[in-house]
Amino acid sequence: MSTPSSRRDRRRQGRNRLVPYLFVLPNMLVFGLFTIWPAISGFNVSLYDSSNGRTFEFVGMDNYTNILSDSEYLATVRNTLVFVVGFVVVVTLCATLLALLLNHQRRGGGALRAAYFLPVIISPVVVGLVWNWMLTRGTGVVNVALDGLGLGQPGWLLEPSLAMIAIIGVGVWVNVGFFTMILLAGLQSIDPTLYEAAKIDGANVWQQNREITLPLLRPSMLVVVILATITGFQAFDYIWTLTGGGPVGATTLMVQFIYENAFESPIQYGLASAAGVIFFIVVFGVTALNYLVGRRRGAI
Amino acid sequence: MSTSAPAQSSTLRWSSMSPRRPPTTAAVVRATLLTGGAVLMVAPIVWAALSSFKTPSELAQSPPTLLPRQIAASNYTEALTSFNFAQYFLNSVIVTVAATALTLAINSMAAYALAKYNFRGRDTLFLITLSTIMIPIQVILLPVYQVVASMGMANSLLGLIIPPAATPTGVFLLRQYMLTIPDDLIEAARIDGAGEFTIFWRVVLPLCKPALAVVAIFSMIWRWNDFLWPLLIAQDEAVYTLPVALARFSSQLVVPFNLVLAMSVLSILPVIIIFLLMQRQIVTGIAQTGLK
Repeated sequence: MSTPSSRRDRRRQGRNRLVPYLFVLPNMLVFGLFTIWPAISGFNVSLYDSSNGRTFEFVGMDNYTNILSDSEYLATVRNTLVFVVGFVVVVTLCATLLALLLNHQRRGGGALRAAYFLPVIISPVVVGLVWNWMLTRGTGVVNVALDGLGLGQPGWLLEPSLAMIAIIGVGVWVNVGFFTMILLAGLQSIDPTLYEAAKIDGANVWQQNREITLPLLRPSMLVVVILATITGFQAFDYIWTLTGGGPVGATTLMVQFIYENAFESPIQYGLASAAGVIFFIVVFGVTALNYLVGRRRGAI
Repeated sequence: MSTSAPAQSSTLRWSSMSPRRPPTTAAVVRATLLTGGAVLMVAPIVWAALSSFKTPSELAQSPPTLLPRQIAASNYTEALTSFNFAQYFLNSVIVTVAATALTLAINSMAAYALAKYNFRGRDTLFLITLSTIMIPIQVILLPVYQVVASMGMANSLLGLIIPPAATPTGVFLLRQYMLTIPDDLIEAARIDGAGEFTIFWRVVLPLCKPALAVVAIFSMIWRWNDFLWPLLIAQDEAVYTLPVALARFSSQLVVPFNLVLAMSVLSILPVIIIFLLMQRQIVTGIAQTGLK
């Protein structure tokens, strides 16, 4: 069957076989060059030590054993865990409450949603600058208000535990609108006839929430917990301009440790790369754990 | 900024809507909570905007004034003239526009191949793309920087534009959207003799406008606010973007805070305008993808 037309078809097919590769090529080139390859080489660098940043000496797992006994690093791990747990719990609770309230609010609902979402789009650098200014002891508007209420002048950016509360609070302020929108979308996908049926059966609002809304909202809540965990681990910009990691390193998180060791003197590439690999393993592990626990509870 | 006034007015209007049934206590509590919360959310931004018109002495005053006593527009003129503000702003615009255009182009092409062609390695490529959503830039900061530096793109706008362009979330969102385009449509165009790229450009892309809009909006907001990557790449003042300039100036205490505040307000204004114009697309985009 080698009629001219089928030969032409076959030639055309041969050319077509290349087409999808040409389509994916530009994206995969950029992607491979600036994501995949660096990820591999980062792992590789973590096995080397470099005292001058030019010559590298193979040291095996030394960077890992060094970093895991480095008290400064372990403090950033502890800070990160405290921050992530606090952030995820508070932001998920607030977003759930807001979504439940907003879902019933007809009047002014659009404007309210926009107001809650607004901080999401603001430059995190500006967020940190503005909150730093508002939390300053003495002239900061937050403390002036608290003082007016007779609550004194807490040293938000001066006391370690208060500074941690401050970065969690600002993190929630920035992100709560985003997670609320995800939960709202989840709420709106719940079949309204379920509520009609429950009402006929005489269920009050709380019973409806407990028996219908919360179970059916679980998949969206799992998405929120997973995304909030990743967002929490990656938090950097607004903390950088809000506390700079202080006071005395109390709000220095793992990301900032990586940045400072890789780019601020004394530069320790091997250590920074090892910290990067550990960071990835932790984020990946916690996300997988979230997913598996959520799945076992039937959330997905 | 009283929280009760808007809530009251909304309940009043509520009752005029349904005259038979007065608002329940629950509805009043809900409206009050939501309005109070919304005021708290917006207050810091409004506060910063109002304060950006205060003189340095009024800014330092305790307790602070709510409204500026006299409008010190000089904060803005001074910020614009004493720094290369125009340069940073222009850099931010160039990076945002170019990176978004590049992202849209390469993401949509890759998404099209992944959605509409059968080829060896397709599923592997898609899985790799998906799994890297998990790799934050912070983890690979150093090696990416080394790649960029070895290509001579450190300290240049290109180094800010190209590396973050191949967003995995963009590919994912566009691919999911393209899966909904019927194959028959593409096959029909093929029978009509259209070339493969023409089909993509003339048939597929116009159908993807909603998804492209979502990717474009998010890309613009990300790139405009991006900080960590530009902080590394932009060493010279000539390539500073707005967030980098702001962070550097605020850490040097020589720059008076009234000017930092004015620059901050100017730098968030474009995003707020885009947000107000495109609010609906942004919200539906999040609802569809959980994308961030």
